[in-house]
Amino acid sequence: MRALGASLLLAVAAYAQADLSGVWVVSGNPDITGDLPYTAEAMKVWQEHKANLRDKDPATYCLPNGVVRVTTLPYKIVQTAKLVVILSEGNTHSFRRLFLDGRGHQHVEEVEPDSWTGHSIAKWEGDTLVVDTIGFNDRAWLDSTGKPHSDALHVTERFRRASPSRLEVEYTLEDSKFLTKPFKFTRVFALAPGRELQEQFCTDLNHLIPEKR
Amino acid sequence: MNVRRRLTYILSAAAAALLLLSTGYAQDNGKAGKLKEIIPPGRQAPRPLGPTGPTGVVPRAADGKPDLSGLWNGQRALPGQEGPVMRPWAETLTKERTENYSAEDPEAHCLPGGVPRAIPYHHQIVQTPNLVLILFEGNIHTFRQIFLDRKEHLKNIEPRWYGDSIGHWDGDTLVVDTVGFNDKFWFDMAGHPHTNQLHVIEKYHRRDFGNMEIEVTIDDPETYVKPWITKREASLETAIEMTEYVCNENNSDVLHLVGK
Repeated sequence: MRALGASLLLAVAAYAQADLSGVWVVSGNPDITGDLPYTAEAMKVWQEHKANLRDKDPATYCLPNGVVRVTTLPYKIVQTAKLVVILSEGNTHSFRRLFLDGRGHQHVEEVEPDSWTGHSIAKWEGDTLVVDTIGFNDRAWLDSTGKPHSDALHVTERFRRASPSRLEVEYTLEDSKFLTKPFKFTRVFALAPGRELQEQFCTDLNHLIPEKR
Repeated sequence: MNVRRRLTYILSAAAAALLLLSTGYAQDNGKAGKLKEIIPPGRQAPRPLGPTGPTGVVPRAADGKPDLSGLWNGQRALPGQEGPVMRPWAETLTKERTENYSAEDPEAHCLPGGVPRAIPYHHQIVQTPNLVLILFEGNIHTFRQIFLDRKEHLKNIEPRWYGDSIGHWDGDTLVVDTVGFNDKFWFDMAGHPHTNQLHVIEKYHRRDFGNMEIEVTIDDPETYVKPWITKREASLETAIEMTEYVCNENNSDVLHLVGK
């Protein structure tokens, strides 16, 4: 009886929320076009990256893009009531998990305070999925132009399916070490009907991986 | 970052007792025995640190099917199974790989494990009516998709590490049928090979709340004289959370894999 009740609740919850499921491709420039309110230190790090873009780029070594940086290859959103998964075709052909089960960030500091994709918890505000992510390392880039962030980065993403074929994601970046104030920008993703993620493993394709054979 | 520290992610204080066992199991990266005697798959002793999961009722999805969703510990092969009977070329290749201390094992070089390599990392199953995902903690932090919404395999598949997987329910068992593989990955550290004609059938049966049986049939007539079956178990992980394991970030394995 309890299981049945839980199932019904899940079914009702699933209907009550917007459905973000689908394969999505970023529209337009995947990089951040505005000027980030960087501190002097952050500016210096960015200049270092820009001076040696390819060698400094984590993606050159098949390391993860993190959360803010996206590729022009497709992403697939798989949605359940308590978990949303974002699969990425490109970069490391990996995934993000957005937890909707009510957990908090309380264990991040003690356990995994410095990951590439951070720790993401989410909730619905009407038709908008609000995702809160902390727990980053300071090695990922915010985009392919080498924009850095510190380990104090805090990302809020607001996912809204503005129409069946259009997904808008509003990003708010806060970073007490590298940004003098919060920075907002919006990306639009277009539905790619009939498109499925292809298998693409960077470590299989990348001849710069020293271990690669 | 230190993987051991990451793995002490205690989600529940009540699960603290389980944690010691579970972290020990998870920290076994499967490579400790790499240079020791090579044991064929199916003949391995049971993992001494693999706890069985909690018993209880199998959860059901909204559509009435068993819900396989959850974080599962690495699969362990059950003992006492028959090993494969190889064609001569496969026998020779496996011997060469073994004698070279598995130095060329793609898995150790941060390439995907393929199917059905039993990798001792956590994996999370996410089940929806039309799609089942398997999210891997390691060896590389990637995923498999199992499509339940089509009955036929894709035509003209470019050979892949994880092939093309379609699934259906046979009673309470999820049957996953996969073809379209490349021939690059090894089935195990011993280096058991296959061709791109490989056909794998996996049967996932959640026996109770915390334990899943996985029966895998490996059919590759060019490599093996007859299809062989390997039986495994996985236990539900309730005490800790999967971490972001990035194999090529700090791969120390490869430094030890020098070959002959």
